[in-house]
Amino acid sequence: MNVQTPSLDIRHYLTGHLVEVFETMLSMKVTPLTAGQPPVFIERVTGSVGFGGDTVTGAVYLHLSATFANRITTAMLGLPPDEAIGETEVNDVIGECTNMLAGGLKSTLCDRSYDCAVSTPAIIRGTSFVIESPQDVQHELLIFDYDGVRFAVEVHIKFNQTN
Amino acid sequence: MPIKILSVDDSRTIRLIVGRSLRPYDCILCEAANGEEGLVAAAREKPDIILLDVTMPVMDGVTMLTKLKEDPALKSIPVIMLTAESGRDNVIHIARLGVRDYLVKPFKEEQLIDKVGRIVQLKRKEVSAPTAAPVPAV
Repeated sequence: MNVQTPSLDIRHYLTGHLVEVFETMLSMKVTPLTAGQPPVFIERVTGSVGFGGDTVTGAVYLHLSATFANRITTAMLGLPPDEAIGETEVNDVIGECTNMLAGGLKSTLCDRSYDCAVSTPAIIRGTSFVIESPQDVQHELLIFDYDGVRFAVEVHIKFNQTN
Repeated sequence: MPIKILSVDDSRTIRLIVGRSLRPYDCILCEAANGEEGLVAAAREKPDIILLDVTMPVMDGVTMLTKLKEDPALKSIPVIMLTAESGRDNVIHIARLGVRDYLVKPFKEEQLIDKVGRIVQLKRKEVSAPTAAPVPAV
C-alpha cells in the first residue's frame, strides 16, 4: 500500500530521509530495496517514535538486527567497530535515529497542515514480534540494505480527516 | 578565557557528538538532559551559548526557552535550537521565541561549529609543538 496525502508520498519521503540520516550521521550509504522479502532477525532491536494530532496519528519504527544496531552505535559514537558497548548506548543511538526519521516526517506533515507532535523514542527488543494496528490504519514497510545487511523502516499512519 | 557552552538534550548520543565537535576548541561544555535541568545549569553556569533540543521529557526545549527569556538574568544568553523538526511553522514558532539560530538533525559536525562560531568566538586549542624524537647515537 502506498500511503499518500494529497501532496505527500510518505514512502518516497521516508526513503530519501533515511538515506540522508544514515549518510549524514553515520557516513553510511544505504540502498533502498524496491523488492524482496522483509528482513528476518534472530535478535531484533526496534526504535519507535509516535506522532499525533487532531488530523493525523501514527508511529515510525526502525527495525534492525542486534548486530547491526551495535554497528550503527559504534559508527555514531565514533568508536572502533568491535568496541564493546552496552544496551544503554545502543538504545540511545537507535532512539535518536528513529527520532530524526519521525521528526522529519512530522515536519513534512505539519507543512501540509497535518499538525502533530512527536513522542520521545522507545526501544523494543525481542526475538519474534509483530507490530499490528487496527484495520483503518495505513501501513508502509520500507526495506534497505547496507553492506549486505537488510533492515527496515515501518510507518503506521491514520488520517482522521481529509484536509 | 574559554567559551562556556551548555548542551541540553535528552539524548546522550547528541551531547556526545556536540562534545566531540567542540573538542578541538578552547571551550568548556556543560550538559543537561532536559529543560528543567537546563534552566538550573544555565543559572549556575551562566554559559556563553546554549544548544537546546526541542523534544525532551520532563520539560521540553520550547518551555525551557520561554522560561529562559522570562528571566532577566538569563534572557540574553544566545540559544541555538537543535531539532529533528524542520517544519515551517515549527521554525517560525521557535524563531519568535528569540532563538539566535537553529540546526536541523541530521547535521554534520562542521555545520554545528559553523553555527556556534557565528555567535561566539571559537578559538582552536593551542597544540604544543611535538617533541623531537631522540636521535640515536651513532
